[in-house]
Amino acid sequence: MDMIEVSGLFKSYGPIQAIHDINFKVKKGEVVGFLGPNGAGKSTTMKIITGSMAPSGGSVRVAGFDVFEDPIEVKKRIGYLPENPPVYGDMSVESYLKFVAKLKGVEASRVKAQVEKSIEKTDLGSVRRRLIQNLSKGYRQRVGIAQALVSDPEVLILDEPTSGLDPRQVAEVRALIKELKGEHTIILSTHILPEVQAMCERIIIINRGHIVAQDSLEGLSTRMAGATQVKIKVARPSGEVEKSLQAIPGVSALVKSEHGYAMAIASGGAADGATDGVVERIAEAAVQSRAGLLELRRESADLEEIFLKLTTSEETQTTGGAV
Amino acid sequence: MRGVLVIAGKDLRNLFLSPLFYGIAGLCTIAWTLVYFLGLQDFAQASAMSMMQGGQDGGANIHFVVFARHISLVNLVMIFSVSAMSMRLFTEEKRNQTMSLLLTSPVTATEITLGKLLAGLAAAWALVAISFLYPLSLRAFASFDWGPLISSYMGLLLITGCYVAIGMFASSLTESTVLSVVMALIFNVMLWFVGAVAEAQPEPPWNKIFEHLNVGTHFVNFIKGSVSVAGLTFFASVIVLMTFLTQRVVESNRWR
Repeated sequence: MDMIEVSGLFKSYGPIQAIHDINFKVKKGEVVGFLGPNGAGKSTTMKIITGSMAPSGGSVRVAGFDVFEDPIEVKKRIGYLPENPPVYGDMSVESYLKFVAKLKGVEASRVKAQVEKSIEKTDLGSVRRRLIQNLSKGYRQRVGIAQALVSDPEVLILDEPTSGLDPRQVAEVRALIKELKGEHTIILSTHILPEVQAMCERIIIINRGHIVAQDSLEGLSTRMAGATQVKIKVARPSGEVEKSLQAIPGVSALVKSEHGYAMAIASGGAADGATDGVVERIAEAAVQSRAGLLELRRESADLEEIFLKLTTSEETQTTGGAV
Repeated sequence: MRGVLVIAGKDLRNLFLSPLFYGIAGLCTIAWTLVYFLGLQDFAQASAMSMMQGGQDGGANIHFVVFARHISLVNLVMIFSVSAMSMRLFTEEKRNQTMSLLLTSPVTATEITLGKLLAGLAAAWALVAISFLYPLSLRAFASFDWGPLISSYMGLLLITGCYVAIGMFASSLTESTVLSVVMALIFNVMLWFVGAVAEAQPEPPWNKIFEHLNVGTHFVNFIKGSVSVAGLTFFASVIVLMTFLTQRVVESNRWR
């Protein structure tokens, strides 16, 4: 059964298109990672699913209810952690969670038990009577997660649940989300690739408002390995070079440009050695045909480019501490 | 309805646990006490005068010498203190980024708005209740007619209700608390300036129209002890209109 069904979603802020034709489905109990660089449209999509923002077009259904026709029914089933945890500084953790539970329509008799449960799950017992404004960023983020959990919703939408946390807290939050698997259907957004690998079963990659890929983790890694692009620049392009390049096994989709050629290498497998061999033969062919090889560039395909970008930002985060 | 009470309860609890309310209430009582005391002195003087003259003019009227003065001061103070308290209603939610919590909870924009209105009214009316202690305390020393006092307080409750609704609307428009207070003050004062326009418009039908829009005429009627349908309608309309506009602004958060 599809818990979340997003079809043909558009959102524009004036002339700027934030998201463009977003389509995806999430099954009950699935954990889906929403991956993309900053400004890709992750938060916008999440806000639309939670009903706090109206799209310019398209529709969203949660548990069979349309977000725009039955917003109350949808909101009863969603726990949402926005980018910044929505907490009141002048409330204590416990009274804040009680307020949220009541606001989300938890029955009066169950409020106390639900608050206890979410405090326990997020390990907030030691700060339960402290004012939220006096808590560290990590604790506040946990209060934000507790807030999303407190009504025991079927769907959890977590916008960058680990941002701003130190490595130990990140590990804790990841463990917590793993624990929640199965009980809840979870969508979480991140710009950090390993995070998705650690927690999600399925990945949706979004860039500049478009979904560029959605697949299971394994499916994506095989596809990623299958696409490398080589660009060469030669002094004297000729038919002879072109022919010898095309004759190399593994080279496909040869495109002639002004001063050279671009071609794709489809090795069909994850073996890096095979790709390397093809690249070597391309270089040989270019030199042997005396076309005057000036440049050979190996480029990853778009999907990997995005991934590279993402993995680099993870590296800077762990080494430099910058987010 | 559940949402209304939950939101109002949270707001009230936070207000009564914060120093803001007590600061405002404290400052209000200082002003009220000073002027009330002066009013009592004037009344004592006027009564003594009237006694010396044989009491033929029936003596000074405590309602107009003491209470009416107190009530107009309470009204003046409320313009400012209600603006200061109602600024928190929505700007605080936006600054805390907790507006998204309210908007993603299973409550409608109407429930959010009514909850905020209720919290604002309760806070403002708590101040009005404090101001009622002054005439009430006089009951220990003097007997007076309850009627005009109660109708005056009805007027006071209604007019502070208007200030709350106006302040709430102002706070829904902006994220800046300063701007919200300034807007609320300007709107509240504008409510009173309609009276000035009424005086500058002598020819009918405009003078009639502005007379009905004049908050001063309606309020003075309540102080005089006359509760009119026109007055009740006027105050109720201002509150309903402002609440409706706020509800539209809250709803529009989704569309921006």
